[in-house]
Amino acid sequence: MKTEEQDRAALRGASPDRNRNGEPADGLRRLLAVMDPEHDRPGYWDDLRAGVVERASFELARRRRMARESVAAVLSGWSRSLIPVAAAAAAVAAFLVAGEVRRAANAAPPLLLEDVLAGEVGDGPFQAALSGRAPANPVAFMARVEGNAP
Amino acid sequence: MKELPDAELVIRARSGDGAAFGELVGRYRRAVYSVALAVTGRHQDAEDATQESFMVALQRLEECRSPARFAGWLLAIARNRSRNLIRRESLRRGDEIPASASSPGPGPERAADISVLRGRLTEALNTLSEVQREITLLHDLEGWKHAEIAEKLGMPAGTVRSHLHFARKALRVRLAEWKDYGKGG
Repeated sequence: MKTEEQDRAALRGASPDRNRNGEPADGLRRLLAVMDPEHDRPGYWDDLRAGVVERASFELARRRRMARESVAAVLSGWSRSLIPVAAAAAAVAAFLVAGEVRRAANAAPPLLLEDVLAGEVGDGPFQAALSGRAPANPVAFMARVEGNAP
Repeated sequence: MKELPDAELVIRARSGDGAAFGELVGRYRRAVYSVALAVTGRHQDAEDATQESFMVALQRLEECRSPARFAGWLLAIARNRSRNLIRRESLRRGDEIPASASSPGPGPERAADISVLRGRLTEALNTLSEVQREITLLHDLEGWKHAEIAEKLGMPAGTVRSHLHFARKALRVRLAEWKDYGKGG
């Protein structure tokens, strides 16, 4: 702690004090140093810092809790939104695939004219064609033979 | 922690890192006090404003858009809190903000008491404008250089230099009225 004599010396510019940058302090600066609370209260700044940090402890704890919760919230948010979406997508995909398989299984293979000409054709179309139900129109006849008749 | 830049400390403090916040307090407590003292002119008010400023800054850390420029943002908070504080004090006391000047009193030989000395210095400082007081205290109390003050306060270095020059000149004139001061200045 500085003495009053040192203060007077500072006023007269006789102190060899240096400022906080290590530069020789001029008289005015030495005089203004008296305005520093630590001038007569050693440890003032450390006490002030400790006091502020202590007062801030609740807010700091709240922030730590928020940070933890936000990480957990992000992860659980992802899982909360991703799992139902993925499940729904899987269900839709399964339904579509199953429908496709069912359609493929039920569909009769179309009989093309080329097949009729190049390959062996069962009796069905010919019998139908030769029956009295056969259309006189050749286009309708071919459509029927190919299996495209309405 | 001491080597970390402000931006990193701010980011850590946002997550509730007490050590990072403590480092920011340690780094800027004197500057915040200097600004608060420049505005309030009273130690007790400056101390209250300093503590309040750090608390407000912590609560509003998300509003600090440029963590690298934390100091300037913090000092702006300190300035506003200090002004609010003296406004509240004025309303409560029903009096005026401390007057700028008073008649010359006893010389420093009789002003042995530190509090008397501080009173004289406060009177002298109160003859300056608020920005001049702020720059003078940041320079002479906190020890910041012109460029640092300019950067933190967001004003040209030349303006800081000019303010400081005129402020110190005015202070010298004011303090020269005191017996013996002229030997040192």
